[in-house]
Amino acid sequence: MRTTGPDARSRRPRPSFETWSWFFMRVSGLVLVFLALLHFAITHIVNDVVETDATFVAERWDNPLWRLFDWTLLALALLHGLNGLRWSIDDYVRSPARRTSVKAVVYTFSGVLFAYGTFSIVTYG
Amino acid sequence: MSAGPDLAPAVRAAPAGTVYRGRSGQWAFIGHRISGVLVFLFLLLHIVDVSLINIDPHLYDEVHELYGNVVLRLFEVGLLFALVFHALNGIRIVMVDLFPGAVRRERRLLAAVVFLTLATCIPGGYVILLPFIEGTLTG
Repeated sequence: MRTTGPDARSRRPRPSFETWSWFFMRVSGLVLVFLALLHFAITHIVNDVVETDATFVAERWDNPLWRLFDWTLLALALLHGLNGLRWSIDDYVRSPARRTSVKAVVYTFSGVLFAYGTFSIVTYG
Repeated sequence: MSAGPDLAPAVRAAPAGTVYRGRSGQWAFIGHRISGVLVFLFLLLHIVDVSLINIDPHLYDEVHELYGNVVLRLFEVGLLFALVFHALNGIRIVMVDLFPGAVRRERRLLAAVVFLTLATCIPGGYVILLPFIEGTLTG
């Protein structure tokens, strides 16, 4: 936080990364309520889980809008989850060195899986 | 987690600060964290199982068939509870952020979250387990 300079006079602090991170969690969370619950309802309630086989996926991904739906769900859920995990790591991993290494592992693993998931959706068919 | 000798006493005592006597709010916080981590871990697994369709659709089908197994159906019911609780409690958090007056009705809001979670997930869980329930009943 700035305590000197012209910013010290303004009441509202300038939005920092954490302000945007807080805002992102609210917005992505509200979007995910619809995307994730609709996705779960389609694959577990409306259809039985055994019906969602390779043919089911092929028919669905024939429509680029479903691919966009699935990719948006993947991207928002992963970023939302990763940011939640970041907050949890900051809460429970107190040693700075250990915190950095835990985050490095989590970010790398999630980043690789995000790229892999994106690749699956985009290149299928 | 073990507190290593590398930590200063003040730092070692710090994790206790994450458990406060917040009563209902404390439980909502813990439930939100646990359900969030569970859904996140499932998402990572789900990326891998869906990606199999690009390698070989038959391999995808073989792995995917496991989800119809009763043990994994119970796991899916758990996922439903985690997902719905996290979604509804998230809406509660947004409401408290947008309308600070809602803090006074905090306990009632959490009760609504728990009630709605049970009211949707018990029937939802029944539908997920239905093939197993019917299979058991008919033989």
